[in-house]
Amino acid sequence: MVKEIERAGIPVVHICTVTPISMTVGANRIVPAIAIPHPLGNPALDKDEEKALRRSIIEKALGALTTEVSGQTIFE
Amino acid sequence: MRLEMGHIYIKDIQFADSSKIENGVLYVSREEAAAVALEDEKIKNVVFDIAKPGESVRITPVKDVIEPRVKVSGRGGVFPGVLAKVDTVGSGTTYALKGMAVVTAGKIVGFQEGIIDMSGPGADYTPFSKTLNLVMVCEPQEGLEPHEYEAAVRFAGFRVAAYVGELARELTPDETKVYETCTIKEGLEKYPDLPRVAYVQMLQSQGLLHDTYVYGVDAKKILPTILSPTETMDGAIVSGNCVSACDKNPTYVHQNNPVVEDLFAQHGKTLNFVCQIITNENVYLADKMRSSDWTAKLCAMLDLDGAIVSQEGFGNPDTDLIMNCKKIEAEGVKTVIITDEYAGRDGKSQSLADADEAADAVITGGNANEVVILPKMDKVIGTLDYVNKIAGASEDTLRADGSLEVELQVITGATNETGFNKLSAR
Repeated sequence: MVKEIERAGIPVVHICTVTPISMTVGANRIVPAIAIPHPLGNPALDKDEEKALRRSIIEKALGALTTEVSGQTIFE
Repeated sequence: MRLEMGHIYIKDIQFADSSKIENGVLYVSREEAAAVALEDEKIKNVVFDIAKPGESVRITPVKDVIEPRVKVSGRGGVFPGVLAKVDTVGSGTTYALKGMAVVTAGKIVGFQEGIIDMSGPGADYTPFSKTLNLVMVCEPQEGLEPHEYEAAVRFAGFRVAAYVGELARELTPDETKVYETCTIKEGLEKYPDLPRVAYVQMLQSQGLLHDTYVYGVDAKKILPTILSPTETMDGAIVSGNCVSACDKNPTYVHQNNPVVEDLFAQHGKTLNFVCQIITNENVYLADKMRSSDWTAKLCAMLDLDGAIVSQEGFGNPDTDLIMNCKKIEAEGVKTVIITDEYAGRDGKSQSLADADEAADAVITGGNANEVVILPKMDKVIGTLDYVNKIAGASEDTLRADGSLEVELQVITGATNETGFNKLSAR
């Protein structure tokens, strides 16, 4: 899906836990997620901490979307 | 370590007033066995049944399959750290009841357990259609959470298997097999010219009822470590799985792991079976990286020439598999990996979620997406209530004539990744 959307000319950020798979399938902008059962959150945190965590991942993804890349890049 | 496995062949199972084994027949008292299962008050009721090869019987939802054993001499007991106290097993003498199994069943999560058919085409796809099965369908107390119910059924199965195994303590085995491993130094001196080979077993540890336990420790909490393969044969590893049944290892598979068995058969002849390395398949990337680093490091420190790596499950563990393969190969140790495939119903999709050039020797347990029709059976042990929801089924699975249209995924052990079943591909 990442590749097909990019083929249509729209940049994509792939947020995913297993970044090596994202590299194998050819995503260009990759943002690491937390864990496979809860990619965008962490049930071990309290509500405020978790909200901050979720926001930081989305902000990182939006930042990645507006960053020029010359090849596959993981935004740590 | 030296382990003597005494095999006692069970030719039939019958219900009786008291439990005993006589002339190869297992007699089971339902009352006594139920009392063992019901020791845990979380289980409200248990119903025992017997399923024999060739019968028109379907067992579902299947949770675990266990081989009854009794430890007659040497350290430790049956399922150390789980039932018996923690002690290192893998030496001394253990008796196993061959040709039979204890099968736990009942709705835990419903959509994640398996199917065993005792006859028809489905029977060809599961190794557990060939065993005489003492089936226990467990019903939980009301209000019990699925994970508590899973643990209760897991332990109840082990208790009943140990209860049945105990009946063999005073018997004389029909056959005795001896398995002996050497220490590192002994191996070098004894077999200086044979290639040094280890078995790297990846244990399912994704959580949410995808779990395995090693001496009672949840495998997601271990760092990769070394076992004598006789420890595995002696019950050190048990299943806590309730998920896509085709490629999770029931406890029975750990007790009778064919990779261990076959490496022992070649030990001292074509290779030196150095040890077993166990690792996990966790859901955090850092865990995957750490565990594969450690696995490769252990392979290098043991001066291995080769490693056989088996996976358990599919999807993101494909990445653990490829990481292990790449990193072990990078240490100059040759690998063969054993996996299965989710290549779509037509077999044309990519088989694994990850790949690498280092994975140039691969054995497959078959395509779990392949569709089969399982004809109606005269008797169901358990319930068909969840058969349309089980992973690998669809809303059209249960057909008007009572047959099931399913992917192999639903069948316990169908695409097992230790080579326990017969499926493969070339």
